[in-house]
Amino acid sequence: MKLRIERAALLKSLQHMQSVVERRNTIPILSNVLLDASGAKLALTATDLDLWMVEHVAATVEQPGGTTVPAQTLYDIVRKLPDGAEVELVTETDGRLLVRAGRSRFHLPSLDREDFPLMPDGDLPHRFNLAAADLRRLIEKTRFAISTEETRYYLTGIYLHAAKTETGTTLRAVATDGHRLARIETALPKGAAQIPGVIVPRKVVTEMYRLIEGADDDVALSLSDSKIRAEFNGAVLTSKLIDGTFPDYQRVIPSGNDKMLEVDAKAFAAAIDRVSTVSTEKSRAVKIALEKGKATLSASSAENASATEELAVGYDAASIEIGFNARYLIEILGEIDGESAEFAFADAVSPTIVRDTTDQGALYVLMPMRV
Amino acid sequence: MQSVAAILHADLDAFYASVEQLLDPALRGRPIAVGGGVVLAASYEAKAFGVRSAMPGWQARKLCPELIFVPGHFSEYQRLGDAAIDVLRDYTPEVERISIDEAFADVAGSTRLFGEPAAIARLVRARVRDELGLAISIGVARTKHLAKIASQVAKPDGLVVVDPDTELGFLHGLPVELMWGVGPVTKARLADTGVTTIGQLAQRSPEAVERLLGRASGRKLLDLAWNRDAREIQTHRRAHSVGAQSALGRRPAAEHVYRPALQHLAERIAGRLRAKDRPCRTVTVRVRFADLRSVTRAVTLRAPISATATLTEIAVDLVSGLLRDHPEEKSISLVAISASDLGGATLQLELPFRLRDDGSRPGTRKGMARERADRAVDAIRARFGWEAVAYASSQNAGGARAVPDAFRSLAEKEL
Repeated sequence: MKLRIERAALLKSLQHMQSVVERRNTIPILSNVLLDASGAKLALTATDLDLWMVEHVAATVEQPGGTTVPAQTLYDIVRKLPDGAEVELVTETDGRLLVRAGRSRFHLPSLDREDFPLMPDGDLPHRFNLAAADLRRLIEKTRFAISTEETRYYLTGIYLHAAKTETGTTLRAVATDGHRLARIETALPKGAAQIPGVIVPRKVVTEMYRLIEGADDDVALSLSDSKIRAEFNGAVLTSKLIDGTFPDYQRVIPSGNDKMLEVDAKAFAAAIDRVSTVSTEKSRAVKIALEKGKATLSASSAENASATEELAVGYDAASIEIGFNARYLIEILGEIDGESAEFAFADAVSPTIVRDTTDQGALYVLMPMRV
Repeated sequence: MQSVAAILHADLDAFYASVEQLLDPALRGRPIAVGGGVVLAASYEAKAFGVRSAMPGWQARKLCPELIFVPGHFSEYQRLGDAAIDVLRDYTPEVERISIDEAFADVAGSTRLFGEPAAIARLVRARVRDELGLAISIGVARTKHLAKIASQVAKPDGLVVVDPDTELGFLHGLPVELMWGVGPVTKARLADTGVTTIGQLAQRSPEAVERLLGRASGRKLLDLAWNRDAREIQTHRRAHSVGAQSALGRRPAAEHVYRPALQHLAERIAGRLRAKDRPCRTVTVRVRFADLRSVTRAVTLRAPISATATLTEIAVDLVSGLLRDHPEEKSISLVAISASDLGGATLQLELPFRLRDDGSRPGTRKGMARERADRAVDAIRARFGWEAVAYASSQNAGGARAVPDAFRSLAEKEL
């Protein structure tokens, strides 16, 4: 293999590759990126055996062929090369890879490309296109709620499915960690009506997001019961899905909450952040006392510190006192794009609904704290 | 650190056995042991035969055929222990009680009123002897560690004052097992490298000691060997952990052995967590095998817990996991649970998904129901006694229990 490639294009792809590669590997070749040059392209592949990332980058190929080299080292080298450099990659007779740019030369050890694990075959019968911006929104507004608990593995991803609502069918993304839940929907793309409900693992969500960062073309998504594939700008990400059943989330979304509160999302979040400063516990509990037109936030610590702040708010229902984890409130309020957030409370021990008043496709549910 | 020797460590001699001999004159001068299945405490007369606490009853009888076993008067221990510590409090408010029968006291601020630390120690000893009829040994030194060693050297019924000018000479001649934190395992490990006295330990390089005993404990021990101990008297301690242990003798490493033992421990610990409104986020279990080697395992939870059933489940999971990793160990001699990372009363509630593992999560409806049930049990026990109500599953543990619960309560009591 012998080729020349532009540094910027190679760097961007290697960034995706080194992110897929796990830091610690018991199988050495999983630390490597597979390079394969043919035609006018260099194909790069990385995997952790659950997820495969393949990307094609334009290159001047003088001699087709391939090899595998440590992804992290190659990434670090290319990252440190000067802007605008042209990089030459050449397999040497001793099996090593020569990386040359300007006056720098590097020799990297390689492992036989024949040993690089192949992506298992499988049919992905459902295929639809989604605007990158829409996919980005589905991910951005749900991923904060993804669980990190391995014992509840079926909550460690985003549940993607087609949902029937009063106004028709939508494409929905739902994530929950058992304390809060985010449900974001977007218009159902053509070809997605029959898709199975799938749980997309956190890592896939992260890599997919990285792939489409800042772009606005369409992403082609393909699905089966057990796999997902995203194709975008010459990159193909294929992954296993989480093998489990997502719980019936509609059950935790209350329908009868009638104590409505409207607040300026940014000002409310800032006040919560201020008041919770004194709280030293991990949970950072903050109490909200609501009466007509007024909210009083308060927090205290075991070491006898306390704080309160009053805000003028839109509230007209019966007085209520309710506690929340301050971080959870701030995170949800951070997802409100419009000016105001609308809360719907039932009582101090039941799920609370938070909505963006300008976005009917977004809904958040938050469980209170007993304080 | 202080420059004068003003820290007292006072320790009642053979406390439980002495109280028994005090209560029943017929027992005086004779070898007695409190307990039955296991020796909880032995009198000096019994100790002369080699009888030691925590020894199985049959072994103690073999060593000393005339040994008299007495069942124990636990409320008397509490009363007399409190009274002895109160004598110390007459001379300084700076008293840190560390168990039913021993305490530290800092008398640096009391010398103008009552005289030199040594004089105060003599007063305390005389008053405990006259007013309570008990012998109390006292060590006086510049640090807590040295004061505790001095009181051990002072026993029986003695007083040892370590002058700051001679403290290293005093310390370095003593055997290492007198030091805090040197148990049979550490002692054996040190002996393997030729270290039997504190002086020999002090001469070793920090690297060598750390290699042998681990970084933290090696450094700590070496500091103590040079009498570097900056710990102060703590009169008000907010507990950082709650723990209890159960000696099993030598039993098979099987679930039917450790589950009831853990359930019993969990009941006691969870009850104390609830009484303080301080649920725990970290649970640590310790298992001691047939030799003296013990292994611990811990888990940090997402939400703090204080329900008995939940603590039991977690402890059983940890112990079975630990035993799975040590398949070569066929018998166990002790299990212990420690609850730490104690939180406050706030609790994050869980969305009502009704998932299979809801019960073990304190913020679910099921989890909260567990805690309410436990609090009802606590209320019944507060009114009608510990035995009035119990988990059915913990009942089969009763027959095998060698140590009475009253003794455990005494040992675990917040002082």
